[in-house]
Amino acid sequence: MKGYYDVVEDGGSAVLEQVEAQQERVDQGLAGVRNVLAVGSGKGGVGKSTMTMQLACALRERGNSVSILDADLNGPSQARLGAVQDGILVPSESGAQVPTTRSGIGVVSMGTLYPEPRAIEFASVASGSSHTWRATREFTVLRELLAGMSWGTLDYLLVDLPPGVERIVQFAELLGETALFVLIAIPSDLARGIVARSIDALERTPNRTLGYIENMDGYYCSDCETVKPLYPAQSQVKLDLPCLGSVPFDPELAALCDRGGSLEDAPRLVSREPVGQIADEICRLVSECSAFAKERA
Amino acid sequence: MKFLCVSCDEAMKLTGTRPPDRGSLTVVYRCPSCAHEFAMLTNPSETQVVGSLGVKIGEESAGTEGASKCPFSDVVQEMSAGPQDASAEFPWSTEAASRLANIPEFARPMAKSGIEKFARDQGLAQVDVKVLDGAKDFFGM
Repeated sequence: MKGYYDVVEDGGSAVLEQVEAQQERVDQGLAGVRNVLAVGSGKGGVGKSTMTMQLACALRERGNSVSILDADLNGPSQARLGAVQDGILVPSESGAQVPTTRSGIGVVSMGTLYPEPRAIEFASVASGSSHTWRATREFTVLRELLAGMSWGTLDYLLVDLPPGVERIVQFAELLGETALFVLIAIPSDLARGIVARSIDALERTPNRTLGYIENMDGYYCSDCETVKPLYPAQSQVKLDLPCLGSVPFDPELAALCDRGGSLEDAPRLVSREPVGQIADEICRLVSECSAFAKERA
Repeated sequence: MKFLCVSCDEAMKLTGTRPPDRGSLTVVYRCPSCAHEFAMLTNPSETQVVGSLGVKIGEESAGTEGASKCPFSDVVQEMSAGPQDASAEFPWSTEAASRLANIPEFARPMAKSGIEKFARDQGLAQVDVKVLDGAKDFFGM
């Protein structure tokens, strides 16, 4: 009797081929994107989203065309950070136009499509069993966003990842092996232990991780205009990655985010200079990667 | 999944689907050698797992009840319900509708309601390519 691999087709629906075709549409959708840079951590609450927007602003100031995909479908932040909550999707010949911030950073976020305070509820014919299909549905939505938006020609597409170590690997698969990763850590053993797991997970993928950013490395006191320690002691957890730079926690930045103001409204943030230096380092590393890829080709 | 007719040792072929019924999808297969037919009846969880992939089983989209494939349909209904008889059919030109078909299926209802609101705000009675281009400029895209 024939086995599974003796039968060439699946009987008529070609499910596997349909999924492969979806991935091909993603590749076509991203054809004009020179660099996909995923910003993750594994740990939640370390400032991935604000750092993503700050990096986007810094890269944009350096003359790059930049867009952000907010891959955190259930906890979207980028629409608020970019002040595009009230944007709309405008259909074009090559997909939906990407809503942009005042300085021209494209932002695709469920925060634009799905107004606060509603929680995202995926319609289902199988109520009560969402744990069995939810992750698949989310990645299908993300694939559709990558394939169906008119990204145009971009120097950088930053992907703001949701928390979860195992999901970093899933995103590496979704975005393809040329996608680069940057991880966000904070100076706490608890958070760094989880970031260490993410580094370990990413080592099993073909993707390159450029380094990590030490976020919330002290806090800026506006009264004495100095950076003071935020965590009591130096973390004992070593991360086996280059540190791209350290950024202090700035209460002004937190207040701005809570007010729903755009980061573009605060050009004098204390984090601006260190994030700019990190952006420079990322550009240098990316250009190294491109040179290496050309050499290999 | 593949199905094999054990008697003939032949792969069964999909011959049709029935419209989804309370989350269950019916898929009919036939053996090309002996013409024996059988139907696969999925339970709602099975339908949803396959439907979450965003694929079609035969002619039917798995995971839906034949209605909108938007996973956020409840909010779309709220967004569509505006004060100015927004539920009324708003005409789209063929070219504008074909542009709408280019965007992710789950995002179409949101895009549609957003564009129609923009058109109403501009005092227009139809969505055409000019309206879409105007919205693009208006929102600085």
